[in-house]
Amino acid sequence: MSHGQRVSHCCRPGTPLWLLAAALFFTGCEPPGRPNQADRPLRPDQVMSFDRLYGTRCAGCHGAEGNLGAAPPLNDPLFRAAVGEEELAEIIRSGRPGTLMPRFGGEPPVLTDAQIKLLVFEIKGVPYRVRSQFDEITGPSDFSVEVAADGQPPQWGTVSKRPDDMPSLTPSSAESGDAKRGLQVFAQACAKCHGERGEGGKDDGPGAINNQAFLALISDQALRRLIITGRPDLGMPDYAGKTGRPDDFKPLTAADVADLVALLASWRETGANAQP
Amino acid sequence: MTDINDPTSRRGDVSAQVANPSRRWFFRWLTYLMGAAATLVLAVPLIGYLVSYRRQRPPWIKLGAVTDFPQNVTRMITFDNPLKQPWDGMVAHTGVYVRYLGADDRQQDQFLVLAVNCTHLGCPVEWFEGSGLFMCPCHGGVYYENGEHASGPPPRGLYHYVWRVRDGQLEVQAPHFPTLHDTLRDRA
Amino acid sequence: MFAWLRTAARWLDHRIGISTDIVPVMKHPVPRQLEGPMGWWYVFGSASLTLFLVQILTGILLALVYVPSADEAYETLLYMNYVQPLGWYIRALHYYAGSGMMVMVLVHMTQVFLQGAYKYPRELTWVVGVFLLLCTLGMFFTGQILRWDPDAYWGLAVGGSMVGRVPGAGPELVSIMLGGPIIGADTLSRFFALHVFIIPGLLILLLSLHLWLVVKQGVSEPPVPGQQVDPQTYDAHYEGELRRGVPFWGEALLRDAFFSAVVVIAVALFAAYMGPKGPDLPPDPTLQGANPRPEWPFLWLFALLSLSPPPAETFIILVLPVILILGLLLVPFVSNRGERAPSRRPVAVLSVIVIYTTLGVLTYEGITSPWSPHMTAWSGDPVPVSMVKQSTPLQLQGAVVFQSKNCRNCHALDGVGGRRGPDLSTVGTRLTRDQLIDQVSNGTPGGGYMPAYGKQVNPAEMTALVDFLVSLRPPGHPPAYNPAEQPSPRSVEPGTDGEATANRP
Repeated sequence: MSHGQRVSHCCRPGTPLWLLAAALFFTGCEPPGRPNQADRPLRPDQVMSFDRLYGTRCAGCHGAEGNLGAAPPLNDPLFRAAVGEEELAEIIRSGRPGTLMPRFGGEPPVLTDAQIKLLVFEIKGVPYRVRSQFDEITGPSDFSVEVAADGQPPQWGTVSKRPDDMPSLTPSSAESGDAKRGLQVFAQACAKCHGERGEGGKDDGPGAINNQAFLALISDQALRRLIITGRPDLGMPDYAGKTGRPDDFKPLTAADVADLVALLASWRETGANAQP
Repeated sequence: MTDINDPTSRRGDVSAQVANPSRRWFFRWLTYLMGAAATLVLAVPLIGYLVSYRRQRPPWIKLGAVTDFPQNVTRMITFDNPLKQPWDGMVAHTGVYVRYLGADDRQQDQFLVLAVNCTHLGCPVEWFEGSGLFMCPCHGGVYYENGEHASGPPPRGLYHYVWRVRDGQLEVQAPHFPTLHDTLRDRA
Repeated sequence: MFAWLRTAARWLDHRIGISTDIVPVMKHPVPRQLEGPMGWWYVFGSASLTLFLVQILTGILLALVYVPSADEAYETLLYMNYVQPLGWYIRALHYYAGSGMMVMVLVHMTQVFLQGAYKYPRELTWVVGVFLLLCTLGMFFTGQILRWDPDAYWGLAVGGSMVGRVPGAGPELVSIMLGGPIIGADTLSRFFALHVFIIPGLLILLLSLHLWLVVKQGVSEPPVPGQQVDPQTYDAHYEGELRRGVPFWGEALLRDAFFSAVVVIAVALFAAYMGPKGPDLPPDPTLQGANPRPEWPFLWLFALLSLSPPPAETFIILVLPVILILGLLLVPFVSNRGERAPSRRPVAVLSVIVIYTTLGVLTYEGITSPWSPHMTAWSGDPVPVSMVKQSTPLQLQGAVVFQSKNCRNCHALDGVGGRRGPDLSTVGTRLTRDQLIDQVSNGTPGGGYMPAYGKQVNPAEMTALVDFLVSLRPPGHPPAYNPAEQPSPRSVEPGTDGEATANRP
């Protein structure tokens, strides 16, 4: 932003008048009360700092640092590597149907397209630059956000490459899971912590996931995402993680994931105690 | 009669020389009367000017086609209030919460059109889609999605705009600033 | 040359009467004690006057740039802040000198009240002073409007809504106040005229009367315990004081001048260090996130209106101010004789303490405004990590429900979030599952502060939310237990809360 460069200058030339006044009253040379363009009040649509955008719109559910929040972490290496930029933008714009993730675009928009783009670049770990017009009186306007290798480095660092064997976050249309097979996958991949039928493990375990209220509040898509990326911030392994899994555990395939989702979906409909 | 050339009349005892008391009396009361008339002539238009403004029949404002409003979704629609002055600038921007309620039994489209002004002290209420509540930032008044008072200090529910559907368009009557004794009633 | 000047001076003096009429007034005798340490009590009135002069000066300077037009006012303020050299400083001076004037007027009044200086024969001086206080408050309110940002716009909305409560004439008064049917250009012009012509004109008029009365009735002598004011004898007594008095033009004036200088320097420093107040965002009433706050002299009223029961509000808005003003006006008539020394007037001292404590507490409440929901808390204040870590999947969903249903806007977790409702960090130790379901579904009974969420959450959301809330307990604490409730708490074991709900029908 064009006003970024004018902050720390002391005693700029061309303003002898206030310099004189300042010299009269102060030992320093910039009166602290002088309004600074960098601190000007911004309309919600003029806010282009990731800290402020994320801190007011996302942190409540996704956690202050993008993890250890109530909702699935955004600052998650696998998620950041695998999610598509357009897909991410669409989730922010329209929310996730079937979950409590609200929309931030739409009518009237909560976030502008440029702000959504900024969030996407930050989450995807793409260095970017914010361009804007700047007027001394009315402040910044006409924002655009573009990829720039030498631009703003993303706060959560860059993203490593998506592992080759990682199932896609979005199910391919041909896939349809089989709940019965899902139960076998479940026994191998999940049961140790979540219990044989998802009823929850021992005292310090992660708790039940066969709960109909829980399943009613989470969509198949969100389940799929959690199965693939896990919740490393809470100790849940990802699709390939070995923690708490048998020694011969093999990374889950796309089909495995689809079967697991189908199993959980069937629990949502009929409860965990009915046969899948 | 006083003679202005008479040196004694310049300083001193004028009243002693009144020649025609009834004429004096008349002149005094005439002055009172004239003064009162002058005051009135001035005051009436001055006060009239002070308390009056351009009163006009509130025009109708198109908010959009009925089909543009998804059912049971509350949205803020903004428009420039036509009751503004040409030099009003952005202050004339007006927000209104619109919710399409679907068609009733007689196939008439029904809308909920609510003012943003809290009925407590006029602050702008904000709509929260997640909880389906309007909340006021000033004193914490809360309203349900149908505009009814839910909690907090407001004495009543949100003000309803006067609206109609014409040629498939939702229209509202240009709103004045609504207050407790002066809600948005039909003024057409 | 000098002879010519002297002639000119004599001519002027003869025509105006400086040496015969004005100099004696400046040299009028004041009680001798004003030269002693007690004299420092008498400096606050002149400090108010000095700051008023600063206000006139800076006000005129601001008027050179400010455009009182609804579509340009805001930009001219930004122009002063960022472009016009020293524009920001004049704006800051005007704000802090105004605040200082408000403070000085209050201190001056308090001093006059505590030392009984309003008693015979200075009742009218006090009455005029009360109107000067009202003018100062009026300047503060109208001045905030000229800042023409959302605070100004919504301040007008609040003012209009208050006026609109007047029975009968309300709507008519609102349109007179706004200058039209809506808050707009005419409103700004009206408040500009009030701030720049009407109230200052009135203020100058009243101030002249106030000063005339000060000269006419004389400055009160410092109170002496045991010395009673009696209208029968006071005049003779005061005359005696003056015979032993000293001229105002001298030590007394020097003190006034010294203190005024201190105050002006303090204001200048404040202005330079704090900078101008606002303007905040543009005055667009459709901007989301507006959070209107009144200026500091009105915060107590803001708090009073929030804390009072709704049925009493119209009374507080319309009648209470009249009672307060009448009370102030009646002070010198209720007690215009007797003791003046604060040490002999416990009721006066006590009422000052009570009034300032009340105002102070209300102002503090007004600053923190715990009754206001935090509008972005639901999406901005993270669920505390410790709660996330101990949660089951269902409880995590409950936490998301808690956030997305905006509970956080009014309820804090670990002290972060809204403060309208109680902090819920340990609610699981206070309320049982059924009590929580009842509280969430029905809100505060009888239209209190919590809305009924019964229709705002679906059964799954309710289950998850309540499961989360029940889990909010310090480690090792058992859940709340209500003996009247079925089933007994033994069926709910810690750590398996989720399961217990899951298997409910």
